[in-house]
Amino acid sequence: MIRAYIALLLLASLPLAAQTPARTAPATKTWKQGKTPDGQPDIQGVWVNFDSTPFERAAASATGTSAAPASGNQNALLFADRAPKVQQRPSMVVDPPDGRVPLTPWAEQQRDYDLSHVQDSWEYNTTWERCITRGIPAAIFPAGYNNGYQILQTPGQVVILYEMIHEARIIPVDGRPHLPAALRQWNGDPRGHWEGNTLVVETTNFNGKGMIATNAASARIRSVPETENAHIVERFTRVDENTINYEVTIDDPKVASAPWKVAMPLARDDSYKIYEYMCHEANRDYMEITLGGGRLKEKTDAAAGRK
Amino acid sequence: MRVPLAIILTLIAGVVTLAAQTRYTGPRTADGKPDLNGIWQAMNTADWDLLPHAAAQGPVLALGAAGAQPPGLGVVEGDDIPYLPAATAKKKLNGAHWLTEDPEVKCFLPGVPRATYMPYPFQIVQTPSNVLIAYQFASAVRSIPLKARPGESPADSWMGDSYGHWEGDTLVVDVKGFTDTTWFSRAGDFHSDELHVVERYTPLSHDAIQYEATIEDPQTFSRPWKISMPLYRHLEKNAQLLEFKCVEFVEELMYGPLRKQSSK
Repeated sequence: MIRAYIALLLLASLPLAAQTPARTAPATKTWKQGKTPDGQPDIQGVWVNFDSTPFERAAASATGTSAAPASGNQNALLFADRAPKVQQRPSMVVDPPDGRVPLTPWAEQQRDYDLSHVQDSWEYNTTWERCITRGIPAAIFPAGYNNGYQILQTPGQVVILYEMIHEARIIPVDGRPHLPAALRQWNGDPRGHWEGNTLVVETTNFNGKGMIATNAASARIRSVPETENAHIVERFTRVDENTINYEVTIDDPKVASAPWKVAMPLARDDSYKIYEYMCHEANRDYMEITLGGGRLKEKTDAAAGRK
Repeated sequence: MRVPLAIILTLIAGVVTLAAQTRYTGPRTADGKPDLNGIWQAMNTADWDLLPHAAAQGPVLALGAAGAQPPGLGVVEGDDIPYLPAATAKKKLNGAHWLTEDPEVKCFLPGVPRATYMPYPFQIVQTPSNVLIAYQFASAVRSIPLKARPGESPADSWMGDSYGHWEGDTLVVDVKGFTDTTWFSRAGDFHSDELHVVERYTPLSHDAIQYEATIEDPQTFSRPWKISMPLYRHLEKNAQLLEFKCVEFVEELMYGPLRKQSSK
């Protein structure tokens, strides 16, 4: 993360023009969906989403009472690795139509409490800051850097390598049942199947310790909890040589009053090299600054109080 | 024409070696390679110590028999790791302090070849152009393009920069571009950032792979040395790689003193 922080600092001085979103190349009319030897639609390759679209639309009437940052196009400036490759849209959230996640008061309280206690313990930091995982589906939400995803397919499975926090997600597409309900994981338990040319991945068995989104680019949704009952359905549809349309429906009734949906394109980029996202190995500095800073403040506050 | 005896003997030895190797007759992928797809695990105690070792008391009293070191025959060819003199001393020091110094204890990325023989499974995902290895421990992962190395690694990494190719039925993986931060075992075996590992995965059957790793590091060792061991396929019908995201098991250990006292 240190390397990325430095990159971000350097980037802050770059002119805005360098990061103007570019249109994706027009679809090739002659393109046909190829198949793997075992008959799956072939979606293999390295894909990226340096995408400056805001996560949500701005609220119709902003009251300004929330501790979370207001949504907006804040991440246009944040791409440390390369300029956005896809057309900007009003919001990543496409359902409900107003582009706003219908968060429950409980979810907002959890988020606000955690975000206002990050200096107390690692437990209040996002799972990304703790270098555990960005979570599912959040691992594919664009961040400021390292937005690379390598997809491989072998008979009976689709594998996604998420560059950030180096995670290989192995998705069986062989019809096997989910893990027993007692076995729960940070990233749940994915099962896929093909509906025509669309890979549908259903993920359950979450451990209830993760988050719907962890990065600043997710604005108001960052640090919102993901409960054990989360039911995530993702759809990957390759629509041309260089584009996968990605959609995810998030159903977690304690967190949002209705299922909501995010949609975004993934752009193929054979020239993109996925690096090792070394994270926990160098996270001591982050914890020293965050938690150590909190302890220092306690000391100075106590000293001031004694005077 | 006289042919030197040494050459004749070498040729005979080569033929005998070839005949002694069992030819792989198991399933193959669509592109004709041995099918290594699946979940694998070593069945040895090399993570504790690469050399022959007896069972021994563990460092955490409370763990009793559950925390003791299990015995092992060793996996190093010739039972000798050729440390340079200065490195021998460091290895001993590491081994004496492994509980506080071993990166495994902190859930750090385990490096290569250690990731192969830790007591955790890993999954091979094999396509014609790329082999991905996903390790359970710490969600470590390597994506191995099956092509020639294009040049120097752009950045050093804990798991190294891997490129592979097939030699007959053997998958050969060349790994370099390492940091000097990983270890080979709890006994304190270590390396510098000049580490270069060549791995050979030779299938013995559909359910077993002979694994070899040649380790070269002129800063640390006086010559290249080799480890070898079989890897075994997980045959459970419902086998799948489960998460072992160990960061959450070491946060109290690593950052405990930094947390707010009333937050416990």
